[in-house]
Amino acid sequence: MDRKWRFFLALFPVWSVFLGLALSGAMLLFLDLNPLDVYGRMVAFAFRDMYNFADIFAKAAPLILTGLAFGFAFRAFLFNIGAQGQFYIGCLATVSCALYLDALPGFILLPLCFAASALAGGAWGALIGYAKARFNANEFLISLMSTYVAVAIMNYLIRGPLIESKGEYPQTDVIAPHAIIPKLIPHTRLHWGFLLALLVAALAYFVLWKTTLGFQIRAVGMNRESARYAGIREKRVFVIVFLISGAFAGLAGFMEVNGVQHMLVQGFNPAIGAEGIGIAILGNAHPVGIVFAAILFGALKVGGNMVVQTSPVPSSIIGIMEGFVMLSVILSFYLRRRIVTALEKKKLRRD
Amino acid sequence: MFIENILTNTVMMSTPLMIGALAEVLVERTGVMNIAIEGTFLMGAWAGFVGAYITGSLTVGLLSAVLAGVLTGALYGYITVYLKQHQIVTGTAINILAPGLALYLYRVFFGIPLLPLQVELLPTIPIPFLSDLPVVGRAFFNQNILTYAAFALIAAGFWVLFKTRTGLVIRSAGANPEAVDAAGINVERVRFGTVIFACAMDGLAGAFYSIGFLGLFTENIIGGRGWIAFAICFLGNWNPIGVLVGSLVFGLADALSVVIRTSGVTMVPNEFVIAIPYILTIVATIARRRFNVPAYLGIPYVKEGR
Amino acid sequence: MENGASAAESRNVVELSGITKYFTGVIANDRVSLEVRKGEVLALLGENGAGKSTLMKILYGMYQPDEGEIRVDGRKVAIRSPQDAMDLGIGMIHQHFTLVPVHTVVENVLLGAGKGPKARMSVDEASKEIAETGEAYGLEVDPDALIEQLPVGMQQRVEILKALFRGARILIMDEPTAVLTPQNTKRLFDFIKDFTKEGNSVVFITHKLQEVFEIADRIVVLRNGKVAGELPRDDASEKVLARMMVGREMEEIGGRSAGVRSPRKKVLEVSGLKVRGSRGHWAVDGLDLDIAAGEILGIAGVSGNGQEELAEAICGLREVAEGNIMLEGESIPGRDAAEIIEAGVGYIPSDRHREGLVLDMSVEENLILKRFASPVFSNKGVLKEKEIRGYSKRVIEDYSIKTYSPTERVRDLSGGNQQKVVIAREMDIARSLLVAVQPTRGLDLGAADYVHRVLLHARSEGKAILLVSTELSEILSLSDRIGVIYRGKILRFFDEPATADIEEIGLVMMGVTGNGS
Repeated sequence: MDRKWRFFLALFPVWSVFLGLALSGAMLLFLDLNPLDVYGRMVAFAFRDMYNFADIFAKAAPLILTGLAFGFAFRAFLFNIGAQGQFYIGCLATVSCALYLDALPGFILLPLCFAASALAGGAWGALIGYAKARFNANEFLISLMSTYVAVAIMNYLIRGPLIESKGEYPQTDVIAPHAIIPKLIPHTRLHWGFLLALLVAALAYFVLWKTTLGFQIRAVGMNRESARYAGIREKRVFVIVFLISGAFAGLAGFMEVNGVQHMLVQGFNPAIGAEGIGIAILGNAHPVGIVFAAILFGALKVGGNMVVQTSPVPSSIIGIMEGFVMLSVILSFYLRRRIVTALEKKKLRRD
Repeated sequence: MFIENILTNTVMMSTPLMIGALAEVLVERTGVMNIAIEGTFLMGAWAGFVGAYITGSLTVGLLSAVLAGVLTGALYGYITVYLKQHQIVTGTAINILAPGLALYLYRVFFGIPLLPLQVELLPTIPIPFLSDLPVVGRAFFNQNILTYAAFALIAAGFWVLFKTRTGLVIRSAGANPEAVDAAGINVERVRFGTVIFACAMDGLAGAFYSIGFLGLFTENIIGGRGWIAFAICFLGNWNPIGVLVGSLVFGLADALSVVIRTSGVTMVPNEFVIAIPYILTIVATIARRRFNVPAYLGIPYVKEGR
Repeated sequence: MENGASAAESRNVVELSGITKYFTGVIANDRVSLEVRKGEVLALLGENGAGKSTLMKILYGMYQPDEGEIRVDGRKVAIRSPQDAMDLGIGMIHQHFTLVPVHTVVENVLLGAGKGPKARMSVDEASKEIAETGEAYGLEVDPDALIEQLPVGMQQRVEILKALFRGARILIMDEPTAVLTPQNTKRLFDFIKDFTKEGNSVVFITHKLQEVFEIADRIVVLRNGKVAGELPRDDASEKVLARMMVGREMEEIGGRSAGVRSPRKKVLEVSGLKVRGSRGHWAVDGLDLDIAAGEILGIAGVSGNGQEELAEAICGLREVAEGNIMLEGESIPGRDAAEIIEAGVGYIPSDRHREGLVLDMSVEENLILKRFASPVFSNKGVLKEKEIRGYSKRVIEDYSIKTYSPTERVRDLSGGNQQKVVIAREMDIARSLLVAVQPTRGLDLGAADYVHRVLLHARSEGKAILLVSTELSEILSLSDRIGVIYRGKILRFFDEPATADIEEIGLVMMGVTGNGS
């Protein structure tokens, strides 16, 4: 294939992000707003000072994890649509640990919160995998429904046993200072959790491409039948994949509760699961791609929120940007395939 | 009286589920999963409300809902059927886009109203004599137009699917698209057409919540009911009769949660009553052994392989 | 040609000229020209992958040619879909039937009418017509039967009836005998003769030489997507045709030394085996067999008589309901696929794309697909990349697999080289037993010959081999013993393949045993 084409194709995700943003920009015209002006201010805000710039990465940290939650399962061609629920379960686990075990010193409490969120999210996810393995249930449907059940559990706990001492709003008390993840850059919201998320992404990469477990996961994902013929126990793979995937989403809860919010508010961050799907698609279900896509989404959020707060741009524009970016990424997959096919045909004709 | 109330609410709440799940049956029978169903419900609810509010005519509201469904379906269908992109991925994108778009356009049309805007509800149409029957009268014969339409659609859906040539083609497109292709019928056109039709129905189902039930539009108006319809299609074994039964069961769960919420019974936490339909779906998905899944469900039809 | 030109042209119902078709990465047809005459049977002969099916799918409107033109009855036509083809009177019987298994015969016939004039016919009327046509051509079938409950031969009838119902006068048949017993084949040929006698035409796609002499009036040979030759049947000989097909003389399957099965050390013993098929029926229904070390046991039979299920049961992929399987004296039912691989059983499945390979994985990954957990290739769950690379390079060399790198995707390899990847892997696994199901399906002659050699080599190494094939010639030339399978049982063993009577084997394949049942 021609070198210049190859370069052009490699940059396709970037083009499609621009296309998605352009489409969203066109929507701004309905409100008599100048899209260039709005985007200009978004960029300006995001890079205005260290606080905002660092916030991009603070926002990206949990998104990397929910992106990995979908992307990791997708490698086994399993659909974990329930990252939102696993995230909430992870939030509940970590906030419970932080609130009830606050007598423990930080160096024990933090790892405990970390482990609790991962285990709880993982266990919740593994149930889906188990239903798939044991009953051949449709994991898409079950993971979807499990989110609503998780929401109900969260609502019940936050309005009941976990409600703040004042008992006024459906939210928990603020966790103890030593249960908060230390800051990476002082006076910003960016905490060490971001590096942890990068580490988790690296781990996901290692597992998928360097271990026998990853080998089995990818084989099951690319051809379930051949994997079965090869003696790979696919049912075990289903459970393990959902366990790991759920643990990723649960960890996102640790990032948000112990890193940013420092409490649990009912129904917060209700789109983090769906955004994870978008990020995984944008990042081609590859850990490296997911990290970059999550940072992009983080930037959209930070810039978007600032613009929304300081101008008449409605907050729904962020959802529109995310949606259009996803759709144009999907279209770019199609276009890329078309171009590659056409180039190959052309080459044959020349021979 | 209590029974009558529950029954009436059940039939009412099952209306959009019937329409949506039937739409899903039709489209899945051709081999396409409409994952965008939740977003399409929402667009229908939005368009139904906006159309009715601006013109003051509920008929225009219903027509706008259908139009919104058709447009959403065209987008979803074009990407999945013609461009052959992944259905779950594409549907998720549309489901993320839909609430943003609906809220944004609401803002474009109405700015930021102090109180939520409201429209009149679709009137109930009592059927003479039948609506006076004890117990079942009010439930089945004193409902709004969409409820009657839902029952009629179920019957029509059954007839079309199993007794007509169109139905034969629809069923074949999901059971073996190659056979349809070999017969000289354009598989893509069958699938795309059915997606559009089904999404039009989804639009109507969504409009039920805005102009048939609440009289207003909010971001959370659908709250996962599209997914319930999606699940009912599955649990009803891709059959309109199964859809009817399934919708009534879920409608009952919905009605019960409303009754329990308003009657102040505190024995069961409200959150768990709300979760019942979802738990029910999970249990049913696990318990069901043999499914009549269309053999090519979710698989794009690609003619020139290799 | 000068004078008779117009007369000759009027006899041509179809003319293809300069047809070219590109697929991703391959030229399937390269400037192909040929014509089909009224009332003739034209055999389109060529190896697998020569471009026969593609060419005919173009004529049938399923693919669009990238270059070239088509004339029907002398008029230039654009055939954009099967709909257009059928309107011109062209029908096609595909190699893989295009029937909806969960529908009835009538429903399928009506669906097949597409948007034609008969599409709106009622079920009753259509059933009547199906019965009448069936009777006229000896193609009787119950219009209300569900396709999935019909045997393959019957399903083919339905395909033919579909085309006739739609008014086909030019019938394209893609490898129609692949799924038939010799007796059913004869019946099909009778139909073709009746059909063409009425002035209709048949294009008969095949890669079997014998059939050409039996049925064709004229022969066109394709090789590598090009026309390699065209001649009337009477001018053809097997040698000439074979040379045209492969571009060289065909060799007999070589290297078949006398068997080494002298000490009958039994490797595999199957007794009273019952296994359920996917639809819950008894696919294997009380089957007995045994194979000794250094022996090839060939299982002959029409496909769908329990062969796949037998192989899967042995390899731990399907549950054994009753009976026993002993591998080197140990009972193996209850062990799963991984354990049976561990025990030294190799398996070459019939569908390498679906069951044997992960096409989007690399050559090296496919080579270790079943052995990634062995200490040779991994340590504590981490893959040993260097060892894997070294092993792959060695295997690629040993089996002369054509690939530019061990990291190339298997999808991008040719069919023959893909099969080599499977075989190389399975030979290393098969310490005691190799199960090979249709090991040469879809391969060209050269590649098939290679596979045969490898099987014979394995036999000389003392491995026991269970060879399942629907190609009787393959079974006859490789096996030390033949078992004929019918409805999940071995009806009869033939101990001396060299002297076995093909007619007799054919009868057993249809369930007819010597004593008249």
